[in-house]
Amino acid sequence: MEYFVQAASLIKKYGNFNAVNNLNLNIRAGEIYGLLGPNGAGKTTAIKMICGLLKPTAGEIYVLGKRIPDGSLARFVGYMPQETALYLGLTVHQNISFFGEIYGYRGQEIETRERTLLKFIDLEKFADELVINLSGGMKHRVSLACALFHEPKLVLLDEPTVGVDPELRVSFWDYFEELKKNGTTILITTHYMDEARRCDRIGFMRNGSLIAEGVPAELLNYTNTDSLDDAFLIFSKQDGAQ
Amino acid sequence: MKLYRALAVGKRVLRDVINDRRMILLIVVTPIVSMLLFGYTFGTEIKNVNVIVVNEDKGVFNSQLNVTDNISDKIIANVNRQILKIDYMDNVSEAVNKVKNGQAYGVVHFPSDLTSGVYVKAQNSSYVETAPITVMLDKSNTEVAESISSSLNDAVSKTVDSIGVTSALPINNDPIYGNNFKLIDFSVPGIMSFAVFAITVELTLISFVNERTSGTLQRLFISPLKESEIVAGYSMAFCAIGTAQSILILGVAIAAFHITVAGNIFIAFGVIILLVVTSQSLGILISSVAKREAQVLQFMPPLLLTAFLLGGIVWPLEGIPSWLLPLSYVLPPTYAVHGLRSVLLKGWGLDKIWLDILALALFEVVFLVLAMLKLKRWEA
Repeated sequence: MEYFVQAASLIKKYGNFNAVNNLNLNIRAGEIYGLLGPNGAGKTTAIKMICGLLKPTAGEIYVLGKRIPDGSLARFVGYMPQETALYLGLTVHQNISFFGEIYGYRGQEIETRERTLLKFIDLEKFADELVINLSGGMKHRVSLACALFHEPKLVLLDEPTVGVDPELRVSFWDYFEELKKNGTTILITTHYMDEARRCDRIGFMRNGSLIAEGVPAELLNYTNTDSLDDAFLIFSKQDGAQ
Repeated sequence: MKLYRALAVGKRVLRDVINDRRMILLIVVTPIVSMLLFGYTFGTEIKNVNVIVVNEDKGVFNSQLNVTDNISDKIIANVNRQILKIDYMDNVSEAVNKVKNGQAYGVVHFPSDLTSGVYVKAQNSSYVETAPITVMLDKSNTEVAESISSSLNDAVSKTVDSIGVTSALPINNDPIYGNNFKLIDFSVPGIMSFAVFAITVELTLISFVNERTSGTLQRLFISPLKESEIVAGYSMAFCAIGTAQSILILGVAIAAFHITVAGNIFIAFGVIILLVVTSQSLGILISSVAKREAQVLQFMPPLLLTAFLLGGIVWPLEGIPSWLLPLSYVLPPTYAVHGLRSVLLKGWGLDKIWLDILALALFEVVFLVLAMLKLKRWEA
């Protein structure tokens, strides 16, 4: 089986605090993998290590078969940070086209791709609006467009639906599935357990470790619950008891 | 207005300050350091100014004492040697060339009949013409020129008093640079360098701290952009801003105040652009230690005050205590100010300001390399 992301015995320490503690992660090509857990579980730290932004204290990570950090992966990986990470003084159009330019897109290519993305995030009418004037949800949508501009093979999305209204969250997930159909692999972190049902596989994180992993339906069956929230609580209790 | 609510706000502000150790440092250390710097800089006399003396005075033989009386020697002996560092030369034009090359600030020429003329005049008040002492100064630095003049005048007065001559000794001023300089001619290069340095460092600092705190820098790090490309991009943008700023400052100075532009204005712009690029790299470098925008403000006052006081902007390096001088030499504006003054006021070209350009270029390379090293893609 081809794994797009392989993380083995990953540890990240800040002083005596283990933000990520012996994390093993294998993400298959073309799947949507959800990393779930409460705030402070270590999801963002894990995703930053996979991106190559944060050096692990121990362990190793391979993305598309290359050991992190590897500059050649930049063209194949898209990252949407938890913060909106946009230039607030630029317009929506200027932000999106800037990210196109740094990935080597030019002129007409940028226009075409930008049009597609603006349509997807439903902000065509706001293309010339300064980002600072947009609502939180709108900013998140622009941020997602910037992460997807270069059509990456692996997309790492850190809490992409925070602050996004329920209707738009559904359309985000529709788009993630569309990306998946085109062969894109997605690693997504979220603490919205309900939307994680749409992942192919999910991993529950607690205190920096993976406490359970599997297909959502299997995890629900195993815990004999109807919601992933309850399933998480059961696994947390089991983990705490160990 | 309720006092308890205002107190709550006040307490909150104080807690914010107390929780930020660097802010406490700024509050306590900056005023002390500022006062010390200010006091030591402006409270210190200008010292060690290089002046060349061409002494052709033959003196007058005093048969009673069997010695030659020489007024020029007496004047030189009365000169405050802490202020003026005197070298001797035989040829006036060679001495003037040294000033033109920036190796000295002035030439004092004592004519061959100085002493005899004074004695003749003392005996015969109707005798009018005495060959004057000629002082040829580089007046591009007004404070230094002022200091040489007053020091020489003091020495002449003391000498006249000691030999009991009632009439004053004539001194002829023949400036090598700056015959008609105004104070603004001297100020513009300094203010222009300071404005460009301050604005560029501050803008880069704010932009880069924003880039870090907003998360956009992380986005750039996982893109194909290299660290060098990020820094180069910033350099290009700030070069454009710096050039526009310089055109504005210089344009206003020329149009409104008719300042002296003796040299090639494009070389002056070149110096400014180099200062901009250097300042921008320094800004990126400093940004690596500022975690949020508020901390940027903590770095600026000490940095700008040090540059303002020790960079030769308003006060010459000759007036800065020797123990503070090393600090002057590690400030990029010091070289920009010297280079700009030399081009604008003395009409110097690249052949004479190459050391200033080299220094700025070296700073740029060092800051650039350090800034790129500090831009860690893979954070520990």
